[in-house]
Amino acid sequence: MALKKTTSNAAASADERQRPRDLPGLLTALADPDPLARRWAARDLAGLPEASSGLVDRLAVESEPSVIEVILTSLTRIGDERAVAGLTDCLRSDNTMLRNAAIEAMKQLPDEVAPWMGRLLVDPDPDVRIFAVNVLESLRHPQVEEWLIRVIAEDAHVNVCATAVDLLGEVGSEKAVPALHALKDRFGDEPYIQFAADLALKRVRAD
Amino acid sequence: MKRILVIDDAATVRLYHREILEAAGFEVSEAINGLEALERVAEGPFDLYLVDINMPKLDGYGFLRELRGRDIPQAPAIMISTEAEESDQRRGFESGANLYLVKPARPDQLLAHVRLLLGEGPAS
Repeated sequence: MALKKTTSNAAASADERQRPRDLPGLLTALADPDPLARRWAARDLAGLPEASSGLVDRLAVESEPSVIEVILTSLTRIGDERAVAGLTDCLRSDNTMLRNAAIEAMKQLPDEVAPWMGRLLVDPDPDVRIFAVNVLESLRHPQVEEWLIRVIAEDAHVNVCATAVDLLGEVGSEKAVPALHALKDRFGDEPYIQFAADLALKRVRAD
Repeated sequence: MKRILVIDDAATVRLYHREILEAAGFEVSEAINGLEALERVAEGPFDLYLVDINMPKLDGYGFLRELRGRDIPQAPAIMISTEAEESDQRRGFESGANLYLVKPARPDQLLAHVRLLLGEGPAS
């Protein structure tokens, strides 16, 4: 795909978009010491479907928040398997900003993220399972309630269930009632679970 | 009446903490992320902050760093998160937290810590 050189950005481009706007040129610019050049490169790479690997690789070492934001936006635009895999990897990052931004990006890709969800929700790391439930919060996908019911029925970790039950109160239906009662029985001595499950039961019955 | 700001993106968690704290006689305000919390702080001072870590827009670490960097009357902060690693706690303290609790908090445990940080001693 040919890249357009816009005249409206000419002033900014003069300094920051000096390298060729093809894949090799943009990938080189993506490692430039100047964050402005990296940001422009990340933005322009959104127009190249084959760029997802390079963007994901850069994400692993990039430290400038504004560049990270643009890389995530570009990966969301490309949305191929490599891009989605890169976004899911961010759920394991210690960088809170990167993790939260990746969660927001994943919410934009319901159909692309859906095939990964089954695996993420049974990940050995409970933090990853919690972040996967966070993704479900705004993931407009027909399976969301079913996934949440499975989590509260099967997950052994109190905070994974707590996150899921919180969301189930917002998106759940009468279908969730037996699982909510079972959850209350399973965590009978946990005041937060009792509180959240009772609230969810009230909400799903009121719908 | 002592004022506490509860910062958490989960509505159920905010409500849970609000009910516990209000039943104990505290005035509670809420914010859904660090940015909104900074807006609340600009409107008036608080006596204590209850801060989640993972929130969109501005997380708990970022909120506390920003708060602690401001030239305003400071108040203690309890960071409360699902993340139980030692590194998470260290980052919490480095950001300006006075105490780190792992979710879910039990009402009596939460109130004991809140009263301690407010210098009120145990409930009679």
